[in-house]
Amino acid sequence: MASLAKLPLINSKSSTISFSSSTSLQWRPSTALPLKSRRKPSKVSAKIREIFMPALSSTMTEGKIVSWSKSEGDLLRRGESVVVVESDKADMDVETFYDGILAAIVVPEGESAPVGAPIGILAESEEELSEAKAKASQSSKPETKTEPAPSVIPEEVVVDRSAPVDGGRKGIATPYAKKLAKQHKVELGSITGTGPFGRITPEDVEKAAGIVKPKSVEVAPAAAPMPAVKANGGGGGGGNFAEIEGSSVVPFTAMQAAVANNMMESLSVPTFRVGYPVLTDALDALYDKVKKKGVTMTALLAKATAMALVQHPVLNSTCKDGKSFTYNSSINIAVAVAINGGLITPVLQDADKLDLYLLSKKWKELVEKARAKQLQPQEYNSGTFTLSNLGMFGVDRFDAILPPGQGAIMAVGASKPTVVADADGFFSVKNEMLVNVTADHRIIYGAELAAFLQTFSDIIQNPDNLTM
Amino acid sequence: MQSSLSLSLSSSSSSITPKPNHTFDFSPCLTKPLNLNLRFCGLRREALSLSTTHPRVKLPCRRFPSCISAALSTNGSSPKTFDYDLLVIGAGVGGHGAALHAVEKGLKTAIIEGDVMGGTCVNRGCVPSKALLAVSGRMRELQNEQHLKSFGIQVGAANYDRQGVADHANNLASKIRGNLTNSLKALGVDILTGFGTILGPQKVQFGKDNIVTAKDIIIATGSVPFVPKGIEVDGKTVITSDHALKLETVPDWIAIVGSGYIGLEFSDVYTALGSEVTFIEALDQLMPGFDPEISKLAQRVLINPRKIDYHTGVFATKITPARDGKPVTIELTDAKTKKPKDTLEVDTALIATGRAPYTQGLGLENINVVTQRGFVPVDERMRVVDANGKLVPNLYCIGDANGKMMLAHAASAQGISVVEQVSGKDHILNHLSIPAACFTHPEISMVGLTEPQAREKAEKEGFEVSVAKTSFKANSKALAENEAEGLAKLIYRPDNGEILGVHIFGLHAADLIHEASNAIAMGTSLQDLKFTVHAHPTLSEVIDELYKAAKVNAHVSSPVKEPVAV
Repeated sequence: MASLAKLPLINSKSSTISFSSSTSLQWRPSTALPLKSRRKPSKVSAKIREIFMPALSSTMTEGKIVSWSKSEGDLLRRGESVVVVESDKADMDVETFYDGILAAIVVPEGESAPVGAPIGILAESEEELSEAKAKASQSSKPETKTEPAPSVIPEEVVVDRSAPVDGGRKGIATPYAKKLAKQHKVELGSITGTGPFGRITPEDVEKAAGIVKPKSVEVAPAAAPMPAVKANGGGGGGGNFAEIEGSSVVPFTAMQAAVANNMMESLSVPTFRVGYPVLTDALDALYDKVKKKGVTMTALLAKATAMALVQHPVLNSTCKDGKSFTYNSSINIAVAVAINGGLITPVLQDADKLDLYLLSKKWKELVEKARAKQLQPQEYNSGTFTLSNLGMFGVDRFDAILPPGQGAIMAVGASKPTVVADADGFFSVKNEMLVNVTADHRIIYGAELAAFLQTFSDIIQNPDNLTM
Repeated sequence: MQSSLSLSLSSSSSSITPKPNHTFDFSPCLTKPLNLNLRFCGLRREALSLSTTHPRVKLPCRRFPSCISAALSTNGSSPKTFDYDLLVIGAGVGGHGAALHAVEKGLKTAIIEGDVMGGTCVNRGCVPSKALLAVSGRMRELQNEQHLKSFGIQVGAANYDRQGVADHANNLASKIRGNLTNSLKALGVDILTGFGTILGPQKVQFGKDNIVTAKDIIIATGSVPFVPKGIEVDGKTVITSDHALKLETVPDWIAIVGSGYIGLEFSDVYTALGSEVTFIEALDQLMPGFDPEISKLAQRVLINPRKIDYHTGVFATKITPARDGKPVTIELTDAKTKKPKDTLEVDTALIATGRAPYTQGLGLENINVVTQRGFVPVDERMRVVDANGKLVPNLYCIGDANGKMMLAHAASAQGISVVEQVSGKDHILNHLSIPAACFTHPEISMVGLTEPQAREKAEKEGFEVSVAKTSFKANSKALAENEAEGLAKLIYRPDNGEILGVHIFGLHAADLIHEASNAIAMGTSLQDLKFTVHAHPTLSEVIDELYKAAKVNAHVSSPVKEPVAV
């Protein structure tokens, strides 16, 4: 067999230590070494060791004895294979660390024992044989485990909606529910089944185990807006809404499902919002000039944002694990685009480095691709900061939801002529645009965000730099 | 040479006459004992008794023309005129194979079918189940996020439309049924519709009152799902494979009684479609028919990680369909103590406890044949044996109805063997060369003996047995597919390099087995197979490695190498 696992053995000086205490000893391969050296002095006269069920893999909780290569009374040599154990992964020969005599087999072939439970007794010499056998008869009583029998639910627990049965019935659990119960060490008897005929479903077990299991829904098909994430989507949402007759149920498209999942995911991020009025007369003037050259407002805003981000790298960072800042090496501006009843965020990569004209060209390509559903994943999921603009609809201000995996998103409203009073008290009419940034407060604080907005506003009001 | 002769002869003479004169058409044969002829056809004798001398020794004999026993064609009845040379009762895969081969041999052939053409395999068995398994394989792949991720593939949540899946299975069955019917018609096989009953020697009634005579008759009536007593099948919640293949529902929880091929394949389908499965197996081990090592690995891959649990060593003694707002109840009885053990409540129970021969109403009593548990008793040449242990002349039984090996391709092979015999060439089918496959994901396949069977036989006959194993983990193609879970196992004789059995569990195992089954059928030894070449990188290299891993004692020279003139 492939790899030989070492058989952890434990010293128990039977003459001084009581049997029960020996089982409570930690068995660990590492502890076996010092014990081994202790064994050399001839002072210790009687030695009986228990052979434990080893952990052959990280996921193994119990093992089945396939066969004992040795029988009771056989002489064992260090390094010899004693028993073949079947784990969840494979059959493995297990060898002994010690010389001795296999005094007793506690767990016979074909039976299972949890990891760490004694499966056999090893005596160092003939003299200890009888003692070891006595020990074996003690430890053989508990521990051995076979097929998990469905446990009985206490009578009062049985509340069966669909099929009232006379009390004291068996806790019927589905196969997967049983597996989960075993995995999470949940007593099936303690669970009230909510499935059909009162049976215990996998969901019941998960609930009892305190697991809020995100339904694993695969996201990000060819045209999904965000990187694949698992979220609380799917069948989660409220089942108790009143049903209005004649209503039709239209399932989400893959893109819509991805959006829904991302939105649910975003709920786990503590966000806050800061708004800022930006005067856009200068920008509008610039736009009028460069429009002919194919520059779009989106490109202008993306470029301005990117330039501001260069000065405020924390706004371009991400909190991935709740413990650290991840500063992104490039500034990739994602721009939300409504498309075919869905939402996608094509990304202008390295928006700070590309010039306005290249950015505009790039943007046109991205939009074409998005329309044809040909965006590659890195073209919609590599954003480090998102822009959302509803200004063209006349929206003056709105609030955006922070997409998972990013530090901040900026919601841009319409630029409108507004009466503005300056420091000297002079009134004038200027074009003003309200921007509102939603940010992850774990990494971005109010002052930083305000400073960023100030920089952004400065760039917009002095937009000549944008064309350079 | 012989086959071409007989073909030209019968095509020229369109009149149907019994042909005791057949023998004269061939060059006179050497007076040799029959069993020598057998080997000379390159065939083995009885299924489990492999001849000790190597079949290849007789190869040089091929120079001589074949020998035909005149007794075969004149046996029994007096010469008279028949409607057909060969009449096959039952148009399943076995009957179809026999009819096609009969046409090739120039026999005037008819086939009787009382139900739908194609029989179980095409309509209610292998074929539609493959359609369902094709869906389950894809669902598995699409649902396995990690697997896809390891390829760098991103896919939206996979879902399926039950009716669409069911339609695929149904359409496939119709298409294959059409192909099969057309192939028979195109070759000029008469299709007689109606239930066939044997009235007497060489005489069969079909439909209400049509009577046909034929020189030779093959019974190929197949089988139906076997339902143990105490189980009430309602076709809705307690079902057999017949119903399950229509996929009218996908229950949340289905109990499958029996963990053989059928049960295992259905567990693959149902778990992929979202059901949870409980196996009920009478024996102590799941998948009892497979090589123990294979079934153990298969359990690790096909059972343990899936939403499946199981009860072994129990009989389902009583199964009541769901009614009056109650679920399906299954009473389990301990197989050894015969004491009630447990009661299960599930949504659906699928009875997959095997298949029972469909031989009732066949009129076997008219020719003094008594079935054994429904099976028609036959000898190694598929000749029907009557109640007195005597051969019934001109009557053969192939396929599930004789119970020798209940596989579609085995039935067809038996049918071809029978046609060989009735067209004058003795033939015995080596059942040990017939492969079998289970189309789970991944697949299981096997040919020949399992390791315990081989060891038992070795003990009895006093030879040594060795085992070679290779893993799919070392195969480049399997790794490229991210499907490296698998094992191939070769059981062989180290003294002469004979293959006793090959068992494969892994990607495309069902397609890989044929190299081994052909080697067994041809009697090729491992020392020769070691020099065969396999394209790289292909899964077939798993077999290549098996051959190369086998250690055949070098001093035994292959008898094939030096043909000895006799």
